[in-house]
Amino acid sequence: MTVTEKEASPAIRRLTTSKAMVEGIAQEMERDPSVFVLGEDVGAYGGIFSSTTGLLERFGPSRVMDTPISETAFIGLATGAATEGMRPIVELMFVDFFGVAMDQIYNHMAKIHFESGGNVKVPLVLMTAVGGGYSDGAQHSQCLWGTFAHLPGMKVVVPSSPADAKGLMIAAIRDDNPVVYMFHKGIMGLPWMAPNPRALAPVPEEAYEVPIGSAAVVRQGNDVTIATLSLSVHHSLDVAEELSAEGIECEVIDLRTLVPLDRATILSSVAKTGRLLVVDEDYQSFGLSGELAAIVTETDPRLLKAPFLRVAVPDVPIPYSRPLEYAVLPTKTRIAAAVRKLVG
Amino acid sequence: MSNEVRFPVLSSDQASEGLVATWFVADGESVKTGQLIAEVQVDKVSAEVQAPTAGVIRIIAGAQATVKQEALIAVIE
Repeated sequence: MTVTEKEASPAIRRLTTSKAMVEGIAQEMERDPSVFVLGEDVGAYGGIFSSTTGLLERFGPSRVMDTPISETAFIGLATGAATEGMRPIVELMFVDFFGVAMDQIYNHMAKIHFESGGNVKVPLVLMTAVGGGYSDGAQHSQCLWGTFAHLPGMKVVVPSSPADAKGLMIAAIRDDNPVVYMFHKGIMGLPWMAPNPRALAPVPEEAYEVPIGSAAVVRQGNDVTIATLSLSVHHSLDVAEELSAEGIECEVIDLRTLVPLDRATILSSVAKTGRLLVVDEDYQSFGLSGELAAIVTETDPRLLKAPFLRVAVPDVPIPYSRPLEYAVLPTKTRIAAAVRKLVG
Repeated sequence: MSNEVRFPVLSSDQASEGLVATWFVADGESVKTGQLIAEVQVDKVSAEVQAPTAGVIRIIAGAQATVKQEALIAVIE
C-alpha cells in the first residue's frame, strides 16, 4: 500500500436533494419565526416525497401543520397568512392537484400584490412535487411548470441538484413574492425510487441563496446547446458525456428558474453553438420549448445554424403503463437522437 | 465506542432483508462522530445511519446492496 492510499480523503458533506431542501427550510425556520409549513402529510409523515422530514419533531405542530385534503382552503389560508406578514411554505402534494385550488393560486396568491397597487405583499412558497417515470398515472405524473410560468404574478423555480434545491428554497422563502417551487420526485434521492447518482452531491452546511432568475451552464460545449431543467438536466448530462466520446460536445444549461427566465445565458450559449435543443418533461405545445424558440428568433433568427429542435412530452396524458410512459417521457435515447440530428 | 457500523433493526421480522439505499460518504473518507453516513430501508421504512465514532470509513456493503438486519455494513478505522 502506498502512502497516498493510506491517507483518508477529507470529509465531504453530501446530501440528497430531499435532505438539502429540508435543511434549507429548517435553517430559515430557525432564523425567522414567521416561517411555517403546512400541507397534506407534511407533519408526522414528513412529506410523501420527504420534503419536510423531521420538521415536526424539531419545530412542533404550531409551525408544521398537517391539513385536511382541501387544497383550496389551505392554499387560501397560506395566502392570507402571507398578506398578514407570515412567510408560509405550503405544499401541494402533487402539482397535478392544482386544478381544484387554481382560483386561490392564480387569482389571489398571484394577483394580490398587483391589485393592491403594490401595497400588499404575498411572501409565500408553494412547493409541489412534479414529474413521472414511476407508473403513477396521468393525474400524478405531470410537470406543468409551463402552466404556472404562463400566468403572471408568480416566480417559478425548478432545481435539479441538491445544492440548488437548498439555495433556491432559501431564496424562495426570503423573496417577498409568491414563489412556486417545483421539485421532481426523481431528483430527490429517495430510497424507494429508481437510484439516481446525481441526486446526491456536496451541499454547503451554512445557509445560502441561489439567486432566483439565474440559469447555470452545467456543462460547457461548442456544438449544441441543450436548454433543460429538473430531472432532464441529469439525462442531458448523461447524454452529453456519452456523445463526447463521439466528438460531439454539448453545452447543457440548467434553467433552474422559469420566472424570471435567464434569457442572457440561453442567448449567449446559442450564439456560440448555433444549435438549440430544448428538453422539457412538460407537454410540448404552447409551453416552455416554444417560448425558448421564440426568444431566440425574436432576438436574431440568424443565431441558429440548424432548425430548432425539442424533446418534450407529446400532447397526451402520461400513461400508467411503463413502456407507454417511457415512450412519451424525454428519455436519454430521444435526447441523443435529437442531438445527432442537430449536428448531422 | 464500537467502530462497527451495522444495519439497524427496522423490522421485528428477522427474515426481512434491508436495502443499503445511499452512502453519503465515499469509501476511505474521514467521518466525524454523529455524521450522517447512510440511509437504509426495510419494507419501505427508511432510517438514517450516523457514524458511531470518528475515523476513516471502509464500506463493506455498497449502495443498493441487500443485507440482513444487523449485518456489518462498514467499519471506521
